[in-house]
Formats: sequence, C-alpha cells, structure tokens
Amino acid sequence: MDIKNNEFYKKWFKSAWTYVVGAVLLSLFQIVTLATTGEPWGVTAVFANWGAWLYRTIGGNVDKWYYFSSTSAQSTLNAGFLKDPASLRNLGIIFGALLATLLASQFKVKKIKSKTQLVAAALGGLLMGYGSRIGLGCNIGAFYSGIASLSLSGWVFGVFLFLGAIVGSKLLVKFFM
Amino acid sequence: MREINTSSSSIKSSFSTRATKSQLPFGIGLFIVLVIFGLFLSTISGNLSLFWLTGISFGFILQKSRFCFTAAMRDPYLTGGTAVTIAVLIALAITSIGFTAIKYGDFIKGLPISGQSYVVPISIATVVGAFMFGIGMVIAGGCASGTLMRVGEGFTMLILALFFFVIGSLWGAHDFEWWNLNFISKGKAVFLPDVFGWFGAIVIQLLVIAILYILVEKWKTRKQNQ
Repeated sequence: MDIKNNEFYKKWFKSAWTYVVGAVLLSLFQIVTLATTGEPWGVTAVFANWGAWLYRTIGGNVDKWYYFSSTSAQSTLNAGFLKDPASLRNLGIIFGALLATLLASQFKVKKIKSKTQLVAAALGGLLMGYGSRIGLGCNIGAFYSGIASLSLSGWVFGVFLFLGAIVGSKLLVKFFM
Repeated sequence: MREINTSSSSIKSSFSTRATKSQLPFGIGLFIVLVIFGLFLSTISGNLSLFWLTGISFGFILQKSRFCFTAAMRDPYLTGGTAVTIAVLIALAITSIGFTAIKYGDFIKGLPISGQSYVVPISIATVVGAFMFGIGMVIAGGCASGTLMRVGEGFTMLILALFFFVIGSLWGAHDFEWWNLNFISKGKAVFLPDVFGWFGAIVIQLLVIAILYILVEKWKTRKQNQ
C-alpha cells in the first residue's frame, strides 16, 4: 500500500493546514478544555512547578515562598510531575507536535548555530518566564484564554504583548540576526 | 514522456527523488506509545488522560497549521505579513463565543461560573509582565505554546529557551510576593459581563475583534502598496 501518494494522507498528514483551520480547531479544543476541565487552556503556570522540582534536585526548597504557599500549590508540588495534569498537557503538546512532524516525515534536529542564538534563547526564555508569572499568564493563558473569558485583563495583556513584540523585533534585528 | 509508476515497490526507492527517508513508521510507532501512555494514565485518573489527550491535540494542531502567536504579533511590524494575525483574531472570536455560552449556561443555572481563572486583577504587573513576555517571545523565536511545539519539532534553540523559561518562571515565582503586595493585590479584575451585561459583553468584544480585523487588513494593503 503506497501511503505516500494517498490523497488523504497528503491532505491530512503531509501538507500543512491553513492558519484559519488552525484557528478553528484550536478554538474547538479550547472550548473542549473549558467544558471538560472547568478552566481554559493555560501553558505557563506549571513552569514554576517544573522550576521548583528542578530546584529541589539541587537541594533547594520553595515551601516557604509565598507563591507556593497555598494548600493546592503544595499538594501539586508533592504529587509530582506525572500526577500533574497541566504538566502532562504541556508534555502532550511537545509530543503532539513531534507526532505531526514524524507523520509528515519532516522531523529534523535543528542545532544551534551561533553564540548569538544561545544568548537569544536564554534571554528570551528568561523574559518569558518572569513575565508570565507576574503577568499571570502567557500568550495562551493571559491573552487567548483571558480575552475569550471576557476579561479586560486579556486585552490589557494583549496591548502590551504587542508593544513588547515590536521592541523585541527591533532588538532581534539589531542584535540577534 | 514515459510515466514512471512510483507505486511499484521494486522501483520505488531507485526512482525516488525524496532526500529524506519516510518517518511514517516512527510516527505510527510514536502514536501507539502515546495511546498506551494515555491508557496507563486513565488507570490513575480519567482527568490525567484528558489533559494528555488535549495536550497532544493542541500540539498536533499547532504544528500542522504553523499557528504562532509570536508571528501574529511580530510579522505585521517585521515583514508586513498579517495572515497569522488574522487567524489569531478568528480564534479569539470563535473561542469567545464558545466560552460565553458555557459561562452563561452556568450563570442561568445558578452554578458558579466556570473558567474564571484568567479573569485577573489588572495592574502594573500585567503591563510589565506582558511587555517582557512580548520581547522575550520574539527574541527566543517562540511563545509559550510555540516553544513547546518547536521542542517537539527538534529545534535545540527552543529546548534551551524552554529551560530558561522554566528558570525565569521560578524567578518570577520567587519575586511574586513583592509584585502581589505592591501591585497585583491592588489591581481590579474586570469581567466584561459585569459591566456590559452578558449579551453586551460578547457583542462589544466581537465588534472590537471585527474592527481589529479591518485595521489589520488595511495595514496589509498599505504594506503591499509600499
């Protein structure tokens, strides 16, 4: 059976989908998420937990931090990665993307090519991590889910996310390209 | 010109002009592993396998459609491209309608309104956090969902970005008490239906999205004419 030339394989798994199809399907699964889990989709809240678990491996302890002081935060930390739903969802995103790439035979390791890229990745990551904690979310939680939840905070986040992206673009062109 | 029947397995490989080997077997293998893991999770709790399933769905959709919030915000400025921006607006509109329906359903049944976890106080922390995030996502080449997606695609740069994303999150969690004390706790959360009523809120929101849609399209035309 020649799957590679099958029209449905090509349409569904080989070719890219349009942005609009993506928008519709993401919306669908956002709604599924709210309906089944009681909360909208969020990505970055767990990263603080991942950090806490990593910190523990080097002997650190976050139990006295205000951020982790609530009973639910403590129980999540104690239950561990494999029992944390949001951690599994993020892991799922990684594997879902990997699956899509493999099924299209497009997986390829893309290595870091320069020290500039290293700095960009580190700096960008730190800014996103810190920004998402104090901004109470990221492009998905604070912005996408926030706006969809009819919260004004989502719009405020969006405006400054956009302004930050403009500054980021200027920095990108000047220092990181 | 004689047509070569590439479906005949005996000559397929020698006439193949594809440089990459088929990864389909790996993909199918991974799919089976993901399903087995999902079934394993469901023995612990149905909730865990639900989150696993939705995660995989989000990742798959993001990768196939190349959906990227970073590109949506960066391209209009950097390249004049607006296709992703428009798609984000469409996603906002559709999801808003769905979310409003669920929340309104809760409301009229007298239940607590679901999914209010992102209806949060607006303060300087929102402004600074969003701004930092905007800079960071463009520099790193991916936002939160985009970073996870690209890790799955094999970008080692984004694996590094993810690592620092986690460090940055821990740092933010460490400083959170200060931000909360000075700004977040003094901010006000605004749930639009409280201000405009349920119908008013969704209509106004959709109108704003429609206006943004028009503005983005006009931006595109302007950039094309330059």
